[in-house]
Amino acid sequence: MTSKAYRLVILSLYVAMALILSYIESLIPLPLPIPGAKIGLPNIITLVSLLTLGWPLTLLVVIARIFLSGFLFGGGFSIVYSLGGGLLSLLVMSLLLHFLKDKISIILVSVFGAISHNLGQVIVAAIVVQTTSLLLYFLFLMVLAIPTGIFIGVTARELMRLLGKTTIFSKLNLPQKK
Amino acid sequence: MKKNEIIIIVGLLAVSLIGIAAFYLINATDSPLSVRVTRQGEVLGIFPLSEDRTETFTDASGFNTLEITDGSAKMVAADCPDHICVKTYPISSPGETIVCLPHKLVVEVITGDS
Repeated sequence: MTSKAYRLVILSLYVAMALILSYIESLIPLPLPIPGAKIGLPNIITLVSLLTLGWPLTLLVVIARIFLSGFLFGGGFSIVYSLGGGLLSLLVMSLLLHFLKDKISIILVSVFGAISHNLGQVIVAAIVVQTTSLLLYFLFLMVLAIPTGIFIGVTARELMRLLGKTTIFSKLNLPQKK
Repeated sequence: MKKNEIIIIVGLLAVSLIGIAAFYLINATDSPLSVRVTRQGEVLGIFPLSEDRTETFTDASGFNTLEITDGSAKMVAADCPDHICVKTYPISSPGETIVCLPHKLVVEVITGDS
């Protein structure tokens, strides 16, 4: 199989897995006083994709996942908020991995990704409903984003470690990551 | 994960917790409180928190029913798809908000009674 076709297969797998994780996440209600808070399970796939395919293809994974899960489980209105969060989070995580590649762990990247995801969503929400009073809500989300970000980061790191033992990524011509 | 990364994470946690504490301290007041209901920046009504009442806000997108009891406001019913506003805990301190994104409705506790 050519490297290009192989990459397409991996890309489709990522979209499918992220979509399933979105669905699983929508089934788990968090017993927390902060409404709308989520664990961020699809971010596991975003992180793995960033580390294996790089940001341009991960952008496709994120956009495809958001549109598909928005239409399937969320109701169309949620797409614009998810895009705000998903894209800002991807931007922050890509920049961190690009500039601090060897100095930063996946866990910290994940924590910053989780916080910026909330920030992106709150900014879009503030624009849509035209209010400036969502700061307190964002701070509550940020407190929660830290443990969920650590959890997602640890999961992504372990997943990378296990998948690294297989030959799945060997055809992607990756720069070898520790 | 290295030691300085743990410090960064603890720092982020501290920033957010201090932020929340500061928010409540700065906004703490003894003056009467009200709730302001806005849709896309347009004020639909301001109601004092001191008197119990139930208000329903309806537009093309649907309805939200807000109930004020014992000095706190809560969204008791809505026909939005996610019901996040209904799940939000009752609000009673200045600056606290209930947001219904699908209906673009914001309920906010403000200082003053007019």
